[in-house]
Amino acid sequence: MGLNARGFGISIPLLIAATIVAILGTWWLSIDKIIANLILVTFGSVLITIGVHYVPVGGAPAAMATATGVGTGTTQLAAGSGLTGLITAAAMSDKPFVVILWNGAIGAALMIAITMLVGNFIYIYGVGVPPCSAKVDKDPITGWDQDPYVTPGTEGHGIPTVSFVSGIFGGLLGGAGGGMVYFSLYKVLKMSPALAGITAMGIFYANSVLASYNIGGTIEGYHDPKFKRVHRAIISSIVFGIVAAIFTYAISYWVM
Amino acid sequence: MVGLAEVGIAATMGALATIAGAFEDAESDVGSQSNPNSQVQLAPQMMNFHRYFNKAISGEPVSYMMYGAIAGTIAWVFMTKFGLPFLAAVAIGVGINAAVHMIFATTAHLGRIASAAEFGHPIYLDVVLSHLGPIAGFGAIATFCIVSLAYIQWSILKHPFPMPLLAALWGVTVGAIGSSTGDVHYGAERLYQHYPFGCGVPVAAHGNITRKAETGIRNSMDSVFFCSKFGNPATGLCFGLIIFFSTWAGLFGPWGGVIAMALVTLAALIISNRIEKKARKEYGTYEDVSVDEICDPI
Repeated sequence: MGLNARGFGISIPLLIAATIVAILGTWWLSIDKIIANLILVTFGSVLITIGVHYVPVGGAPAAMATATGVGTGTTQLAAGSGLTGLITAAAMSDKPFVVILWNGAIGAALMIAITMLVGNFIYIYGVGVPPCSAKVDKDPITGWDQDPYVTPGTEGHGIPTVSFVSGIFGGLLGGAGGGMVYFSLYKVLKMSPALAGITAMGIFYANSVLASYNIGGTIEGYHDPKFKRVHRAIISSIVFGIVAAIFTYAISYWVM
Repeated sequence: MVGLAEVGIAATMGALATIAGAFEDAESDVGSQSNPNSQVQLAPQMMNFHRYFNKAISGEPVSYMMYGAIAGTIAWVFMTKFGLPFLAAVAIGVGINAAVHMIFATTAHLGRIASAAEFGHPIYLDVVLSHLGPIAGFGAIATFCIVSLAYIQWSILKHPFPMPLLAALWGVTVGAIGSSTGDVHYGAERLYQHYPFGCGVPVAAHGNITRKAETGIRNSMDSVFFCSKFGNPATGLCFGLIIFFSTWAGLFGPWGGVIAMALVTLAALIISNRIEKKARKEYGTYEDVSVDEICDPI
């Protein structure tokens, strides 16, 4: 399977599925709370976990231009973008579900896109290196050669186009997942916006950490061989989603 | 339709965010927090003794979430329970947070440097004392801007989240941006300034950080002077653009906002692709350079 087919083939159907779930809108409020919360929180968790696999992060080595990707930790960057999405999603709290979902998705994608762009400014003009990856011979999207541009002794540097596109997909999936979890907590379980926001943040962090363990802290995007491990993270996030759904229901039942 | 007043609010928030981003990165450079800190921590093990301030309270997003939450909560309490105006309340919040920040910075630095004692690394008390002021000062300016941002969003834009939660969430975002953008300038360029410009840091060179200044021995205050010329403003620009565009897009209504943010995201992708192409063309390849040549510059 081609790398682009793998990357686009997983993310786009997931985004379509999330949109269909969101179009059902108020129907989720008409069915049993436990079931609606279970489905939405679990699906949201899966979206977040898969989204984190798409975000190109190089961890500490990337901060020294020793590895490709954004120079920070997986969890931190995913949480930074996802929580920006949560703020843009929550700003639409009184709007339909699909509006909340897409505002969350695109808000997170915007954050990560501008961060990667300014990151590339610093790699190119501050450090003086062209963005390139050591994991693939040619960029799957542009077809540009990678190996000759990699500094000897490093695993690449900067954010090449394929990683950039992958990061945008990561932001979209993560933000959509965050928006879905927020909708479930706020509208289905009738939590206050503050409690729903804090709980959604906790669920976001837990899923980011799960994904971070799965990829060992660094990944370049969907073209990275580590991306093949995504199925293990999906199983973990489904288990986590079920547990989180039960706990959030218990919180809304006893506390509120 | 978007009025002039709404655009003004978005621009004000963008300006506050720009200052927050720039000073957040300056604080992480003068305290050597975040990912490049691994090199400062590694240096004594490679027998490279230094006078850098070496703190890693936690990842930057988490530490700024804490600062935003502390300052935001205290300001909130003084506003709602004691009826103080926002500026007075936020000044108290930021002041108390600065004290907490200095305590964390001191314990983090002393703990980290003390762990290098087995390699014979000394603790320079003058480094501790001289760096605490800028750390607290830069941190306070960044925190003040974050809380102000949250206040505008909560009071004028009527965001459903309470102000302290917004401050905490924007703290995560500014920390994530600071460690993703500006810290690369510090980690890959400033910490390795005795290496030739225009290459990444090979794994073999890790820990071999630049220890000499223009005069005498370098400390972290010299680093912030260097990074304030490019890394810090770039970080500020990044956070400012994110806040500006996400606020500005929200003013177009639910779907208009989605389309506006999507267009900005697409524009970022195109610009990044163009500068990547330009860099490849202008800098060329590394084919004729050996690893030893890059690792042993002196």
